[in-house]
Amino acid sequence: MSLLIDHLDKRFGTTVALDGLAFEVPGGQVFGFLGANGAGKTTTMRIVLGVLQADRGTVTWNGIDSRVLPRATWGYLPEERGLYPRMVVVDQLAYFASLYGLAPDRARREALHWLTRFRVPELGSRRAEELSKGNQQKIQLIAAILHDPQVLLMDEPFTGLDPVNVALLREAFLELRDQGRTLIFSTHQMETVEALCESIAIVDRGRVVIGGAVRDIRRAAGQRLVRIAVEGDHKLAWIDEVPGVRILRPGFDRTEIELDVGVEPDAVLAAAIRRGVRVTHFEVVDASLEQIFIDHVGRPPDEDLHLAPSTELSDPNPATRIASDEPAA
Amino acid sequence: MNADRAPGRDEPLLPNAGIIARREYGGLVRSRLFFVSTLVLTGLAMFVALLPIVAKLVDRESRTTVAIVASDPELLDRSMAVLQGLLDQTGGGFDLVVVDDEQDAIARVSDRELDAAIVAVRRPTGQLGFSFHLGETMGQQQITNLTVGVFGVAVVDYVAQNPASSFKQPGVEVFRALGDGNGGSQPFDASAFASRLIVGAVFGFLIFITIVIYGMWVAQGVVAEKSSRVMELLISAASTRQLVIGKALGIGLAGATQTAIVLAPALVVLVVEDALARLVLGQGVGLGSSISSLSPGLLLAFAGFYVLGFALYSLIYAAAGSLVSRPEDLQIIALPLSIVAIAGYGMGLLALTGGITGFIRIASYVPFWSPFVMLTRLSVGRVEPWELLLSVSLLVATIAIVGVIAIRIYAAGVLLYGQRPGLRAYVEAARHG
Repeated sequence: MSLLIDHLDKRFGTTVALDGLAFEVPGGQVFGFLGANGAGKTTTMRIVLGVLQADRGTVTWNGIDSRVLPRATWGYLPEERGLYPRMVVVDQLAYFASLYGLAPDRARREALHWLTRFRVPELGSRRAEELSKGNQQKIQLIAAILHDPQVLLMDEPFTGLDPVNVALLREAFLELRDQGRTLIFSTHQMETVEALCESIAIVDRGRVVIGGAVRDIRRAAGQRLVRIAVEGDHKLAWIDEVPGVRILRPGFDRTEIELDVGVEPDAVLAAAIRRGVRVTHFEVVDASLEQIFIDHVGRPPDEDLHLAPSTELSDPNPATRIASDEPAA
Repeated sequence: MNADRAPGRDEPLLPNAGIIARREYGGLVRSRLFFVSTLVLTGLAMFVALLPIVAKLVDRESRTTVAIVASDPELLDRSMAVLQGLLDQTGGGFDLVVVDDEQDAIARVSDRELDAAIVAVRRPTGQLGFSFHLGETMGQQQITNLTVGVFGVAVVDYVAQNPASSFKQPGVEVFRALGDGNGGSQPFDASAFASRLIVGAVFGFLIFITIVIYGMWVAQGVVAEKSSRVMELLISAASTRQLVIGKALGIGLAGATQTAIVLAPALVVLVVEDALARLVLGQGVGLGSSISSLSPGLLLAFAGFYVLGFALYSLIYAAAGSLVSRPEDLQIIALPLSIVAIAGYGMGLLALTGGITGFIRIASYVPFWSPFVMLTRLSVGRVEPWELLLSVSLLVATIAIVGVIAIRIYAAGVLLYGQRPGLRAYVEAARHG
């Protein structure tokens, strides 16, 4: 039982969205589909759903072409959340489920059941426009699972959720997996991937750059990290003196340090002792998915979510700056 | 780019199109907009239905008063008798009054107390002379009526003066052109024709406004689903064919419901129109009810052309709606289609009032116009059976072709966000989906 994405090509005009994209999702797993914005994740999901057609390549679920499978095989949570704003929640949940073939009575019962499971039974009688963004997201997730699909495709399901709802969603994922469902989701949150996914595929410019079991990928990376905390010193400027070592992720509490292949973690600890600082935490871990992502894609997965580095303006005179911003005649 | 073209996926129209139609219908008829617009249109229809009575009431108040001044009593009596008799036949509402003095009559016309004065004199040669002194309220038709009237006075006077005359009243026969066919082209008397004119105008207006307004609602519904992003869920749950046809069906039924609600009280008014007129205007003032023109065949034609016309326009409106992401862009893309519909409605009105010219006849076969033009032609009763058959056949064939193209464009369009695809993209979408 697996979902096989077999060398998909897709172009939009002159833009290549998918370029021989290929990977396999083992059935009954939670699968992380990772990539920067525009890498081809949404296009792939739409092709799996049958909403788009690939120029070349096929998608099969348990050996059957996805294009002949009933729509109810799939549950879909799109990246762009959307509900009928003025429609009562339970009505629209029943509406979507009935389109997938559920009888109206059963659809309403299932809707109320899942609203209760997500601890929001009171939302059933409200209009969607009255709900918070997080609650709308829960309703959309319920809409995706109400008809009990075999495969759930979710585009950025954790975006915009508070930590409580993220935890709730994670729990729901694991429960669905335990029931034998296959879950595929895209995200920029690598911690979530590490916590939930057994397998991943990292995609860049329409191609899979690395894929497989998370454990295998991390081990194959051959890199290790050191997480260190030093009393009264969060900048760790002295780390520059250690060859083959660099700060990956600075932090007030703990700083993550990347080690080149062959560099032992002891080198960092020895440097700290030489410096005479007081080390309060020291931990050696395998390479993070984030680091693996950067290594393969060339930039962090959430780079688009942060400001670009500030650049110095050559002319400090504000008046001149404004004038120079105007387009040349 | 079309999920519907996926090989082998078996997706019948039902039940999903029915589920979608039910949601669209329920959402629309329960909306405040539907309630208010139904109320306004019902009031408007009642007003139109009552219009003949109102017109009669106003006409009764506005009569034309003409003074008759004659050079001798015999001429005066003859002028009064003949003119009164002839002018009553015109239905123009003339009141004739006798004024003794010519200058007094002219002064009263100047003072707008009288609409006109006719001064009749017998000249020494025996010839009669008539002078018309007209006020500003006299139109050309009324002057013609008065001219015919005084000619009648002259004839009667001549006969009276020459009893052994050889004058013979001419025989008059009236022939009406019946067209080149038989059946379906029956002449009507004036009142029946006027009645059909009213029914045709009402039906033409209703079918136009319903098709355009509800067609736009189809487009607006598609844009709303795109802009609220609920479209992403819909296209993964149902095929584009089910989505488009379900939406058009639901909104079309809502339109039909509103039309029925709007028409019902107006039809009741038309049924009791004659009795109502007698009540308001007094006994002896009948209207000749407009309901007599509402044959079951005409009602069936209205229903049929509504269904077919709406099907054609709503498919295109759905495709148009899929190509824009924001409601404010919809007017621009829907405008050409609205202009086509307005042109059809205009030609429908011409068919009612300006006769069936060659161009109007051809327009009544053109699928985008036939729902308006053929319907109004049917209202005034000048359609051959083969013409109706041709018109409906072309309309059905066009719906089938446009349906395939519109659904393909819709399938490609609903996934386009924030893009302005060029004409080539539309053509590609229509060709390949």
